[in-house]
Parts: sequence; C-alpha cells; structure tokens
Amino acid sequence: MAKPFHFFTEQGIVYYSGYKADNLRSLLTGLRGVPSSSIFYHLYHSLLRRHFTTTDYMNDFAQWVWGVLWQKTLGEKLASFDPLEFTRLRDARARLIEIVDDYVGETEYFLRVSEEQAFYFLCIKSFVYPTGVSAASLPELMQAIQIISPHSLFYHLIESRLRLREPSNDLSDWLKTELDMPDLAATINVLSPYEYNLEELRNKIMAAIQDAIK
Amino acid sequence: MPSSNNKHHLKDYAPIVTAGVINEIEELARLLGPAKIVNVNSTKEGGGVAEILGWFIPILEDLGMTIEWKVITGNTEFFTITKKFHNALHGQPEEFTQEMFDSYLDNVGKNAPPIPDDADFVVIHDPQPVAMIAQYPNRSNSWAWRCHIDLSEADLRVWGFLRPFVERYDGAVFHLPQYTKNLMSPQFILPPAIDPLAPKNEELTDDEVTAILYRLGVPRDKRIILQVARFDRLKDPFGAIRAFKLIRNWYDCRLILAGGSATDDPESQAVLAEVQDMAGDDPDIHILNLPPDSHREINALQRAAAVVIQNSRREGFGLTVTEAMWKAKPVVGTDIGGIRHQIIHGTSGFLIHSVEGLAYRIRQLFGNPEMARRFGIQAREYVRNNLLVPHHIRRWLLVFHSLKQKGNDDLITLSPQKVTP
Repeated sequence: MAKPFHFFTEQGIVYYSGYKADNLRSLLTGLRGVPSSSIFYHLYHSLLRRHFTTTDYMNDFAQWVWGVLWQKTLGEKLASFDPLEFTRLRDARARLIEIVDDYVGETEYFLRVSEEQAFYFLCIKSFVYPTGVSAASLPELMQAIQIISPHSLFYHLIESRLRLREPSNDLSDWLKTELDMPDLAATINVLSPYEYNLEELRNKIMAAIQDAIK
Repeated sequence: MPSSNNKHHLKDYAPIVTAGVINEIEELARLLGPAKIVNVNSTKEGGGVAEILGWFIPILEDLGMTIEWKVITGNTEFFTITKKFHNALHGQPEEFTQEMFDSYLDNVGKNAPPIPDDADFVVIHDPQPVAMIAQYPNRSNSWAWRCHIDLSEADLRVWGFLRPFVERYDGAVFHLPQYTKNLMSPQFILPPAIDPLAPKNEELTDDEVTAILYRLGVPRDKRIILQVARFDRLKDPFGAIRAFKLIRNWYDCRLILAGGSATDDPESQAVLAEVQDMAGDDPDIHILNLPPDSHREINALQRAAAVVIQNSRREGFGLTVTEAMWKAKPVVGTDIGGIRHQIIHGTSGFLIHSVEGLAYRIRQLFGNPEMARRFGIQAREYVRNNLLVPHHIRRWLLVFHSLKQKGNDDLITLSPQKVTP
C-alpha cells in the first residue's frame, strides 16, 4: 500500500524590502543585499502571479530590465534564466548577480529612471500548510490534481525543489518511490513553467496520468 | 473597492475562483484561530474605507473571527485638520500651524475609542486615528496601520509629525510598493479588490446592457471607447477627446466619458464644463455625469465598450481598470502606479505615455478584434487570480499570521505535519 501524497499549499504576503533600483548599478546592489525571499518572489513567484499566461518574460527582473530600462540584451539574458536549474536560492542569486555584473562591466551608459518607474524589491513571507487533499493511487491523484489551487500546484511543481533542495519536484519523487512509476515521474518532472502556464501544466499532468492509467 | 455593501459569504465566490482556493482560505483562517480583530476608522457612513469594511467584516465573521468596528469621533476642527493631513499626504500644498498638530493630538486623546484588552489584532485605517496607538504603550496585541493613501509625494512636515506614531505599529499596509516609506516595521503590500458579485460587476444580459445604454442616450450602433473617471484634470478627459478625434479619421466610433462631479468640489464642476465645451455638439461624444450610486449603469457601459481607456496622469490604484478587465475588456491605460501594476503590456492591454500612443493602441485593437478578444481573456484571468474579494481576505489573513509570528523568518510552516509527502 503506497504512502499517500499530501498536497500542501504556499500562501505568501508581500512586504517591501527597503531596496529599490533606478538603474543597473542599484539593481546589482539590491540583488546582493536583499533577503533570499525577495529573490524567490521576483524569480519564482512571478510564475504564479502570471500563471494563466506565458508572457515574454516571466520573471520580474527581466520584465523591468526590458520594459523599463530598455536594455534588450540583458533583458533576454535574464529572461532565459531558468530558475528550475537551481535547488538553492543562494545559487540562483549568485548566477543573477553574475549576469547583471558582466553586463554592467561591458556597458558605458546607465539609464536612470524616475522613482515612479523604479524596481521595488519585495520580499514574501510564505506560509506552508496542508490542504487536506491527498492521494494514494493514480485515480485519486487525477482527482486531486483537478481540484487543488494554483498555489498548491505551484508549491509542488516549483517551490518544493527549493524547499527540499532536490532537483526533482516532490510529486515526481512520490510517483517514483511510492507508486513505482519512474516514466510518469520523469514526464511530470520535465514539464517547465517557462513553456506552459500553470493551468496548461495541470492539464499536461492530468493527460500524463490518464495515459499511465490506460 | 467593492461597490456595494451586499453581504456575501466566502463560499459564494467558489464558482468564480474555484473551491480549491476557497478551501485554502478557510484553512488559513482555521489555522489563525478565532481571533478578535478591532477596526478603527473615522466614519461608518460613506467613503471607501467604510465600503470595504462593509463586506470585509461579515466574511471574516463567517470565518470564525470576532470583529469590532469602532470610529474615532471629533469636532469640526478635528476633521478639518485631518482633511488637511489627507491632502498634504497626497502631496497637495497645505498650511499648518503648531496649534493644529496640538489640537489633533488633544482630540485623539479625548475621543479615540477604547480598545478592548482581549483584542488580538487592531487595524487602524488612515491618518485620523493613527496617533491613538500612543495611548497603549504596554499593549500585548498586534497593531497594523492600513494606509489607503499614496504617500509617495507626502508633505514632509505632516509625514514627519505622523511618522513616530506609525513607527510604533507592528506593521503598515499599503496598496502598492510605490506608496511605502522607509519604516522600521514591516510594510505589507495589499492591493485593493473588486467584488464580482456586486451590482457594479455582476453579470448582465446583452438586453439589459442595451436597455441601460438606451436610457443613458447612447446607441449601440458603433464601437464604443469608454473612460470611467470623475471629472478631474488628473484623469485627463481632454486627452481622451483628442485621441478620439485622431481615431475617428480611421474608425466610426463613439467616446463615452462617464463619471461624477461632486457638488462640493468646484474644481470638478469646472472640469466638467470644460470637457462639455471641448466635446461641443459632436453627437458621438457622450459626457455622462452620473450620480454616485450608478453601479449598474457603469457595469453596462463597461460591458458595452469595445475598448476601455484610463488616461490618468495620477491614479491611486485604478479600480475602474480592474472592473473593465474583469469584464474581459482590453484596457489602454497610462503607464503609472496601479495601472502598470494591473496591465501586462502587450498581453492583457497596452500601457501608453501620450495621447498619440493612446490613439494608436485603440486603433490597433479596433483593427485586430482577435487580439482585443485575447487581451480581454487574459485581463479577466489576471483579475480572477489576483484582485477579487477572496484574494483580499486571503492577504489580510496572511497579514494577521505575519503579525502573530513577529519573527524575521520568511518561511513559516503552519502545520505539525512534515512538509513532505
């Protein structure tokens, strides 16, 4: 009998970090100084806030650099940054700093924008708790995936990698270890929020489970 | 802010935001426990804060909280001074004397409502009662200051006077990051919300929309461009008319400027007269000066519009943008404050910086109905997932949880259960 998979959720309240950027240098200062939860909010949580759409640039740093500073090259570099490559926020932060620092080193002119257009580094205080939904088999998992909130989906597909410091998400881990379904686990694990929005991901997961049930 | 005091239950919103989202909010409330929350503002009648508390309190009570709503009283002098505070915090020039500050403190000392010892959380709204925290130096409960004002250009003298009181709170709550100040205590960002079940946002049939527009004297024979805003220079209705004239070289359409002009605000009367003068006798420009309770009329106008615009120079949050987005309308708005916060440029609408840009983007939407439709769908989904009543309730519950924790940890597990499957 498989150990059931308990669905958790993450709900967060946003607060101002005290850092804001009006050019690339102050962006760099912020990236170096803000608490980790600010990196998490702007890099990862942005996927949840715009989960119904796949915009050109899913993380907030890329959006601001492209849309406000009009630094297209850096905007692209930041946009191509895949947060799922990292299991530690400190590593994600280090890579971000490296990208911006390299660009700053190559650039002569720094556009400064008004206070109104500044980038406000926000932090997020996250509360993680069980939803009361669980599954112990594929049919139950199918039902659960249908009803859980986008926050819960986000937590298991994206955030769990960071919290558990594992390269795969915890749902895939459970499929592999408890249900002995490594193929289904692998299919779900490679679904990227950069290619699909969360609702599309939900549908993809359900389709994959359906295939596995057949 | 939701435009009605209709009392709804949280579960009423499940068909809109999904049962999964509602269940998680209920669980968040259960984990907080049966807290007692005291709200203090300056009036129970009229104004945005009273409107919010009107729907906010019944829902929290439904979730097992005990809520008290108290008001600070005062004489005419007190409210004259706090009105000047309000204006100055918005960046408008006002004259102050030391006597005014002393009088304000004297009134707060005498007329602030008592806070019961067993209150878990105290939420003080806006500047009028802010100083009353000084009367509770040994308090053991958590206090939050809810600021509904954009402080980005606050008068330094007034802010300098109020700041020591604000610093005593356990947290401050603002609509947008741009409205925050550098404070020692946490500054939570909590945007306002609209009520999808209120008369201003509830579903209307196409026949109802047509009937309401007929009553307002607006035929539905051409595409409609709509701006809903009070008649105020900061909403730039003149720019909207100029943009409309540029568009009409290409498309046969109508412009509706719908709003109100408070009788006690001579400036708005003057702006309305100027707008009417600029519109002249053009039969395709409709200037609708509507009473404040015209919720269904605004609803119908927003639903009838092909494109909604918000040509504001300054905007608190821009809930008229939220309302239009909820009705799946593509919105073209100026790239400022709350409008920028809501519209994803090129995905759910357009952000613009000039009259010419406004005209260009409307033309683009007229010429590409499929794009307009797609933007509308994205806009509605953004509001569904971020700016409806349940999200507002959820965020407040999270503020209460944060105040309860009091620590610096940004990851809190609200469960004895291990956070792994």
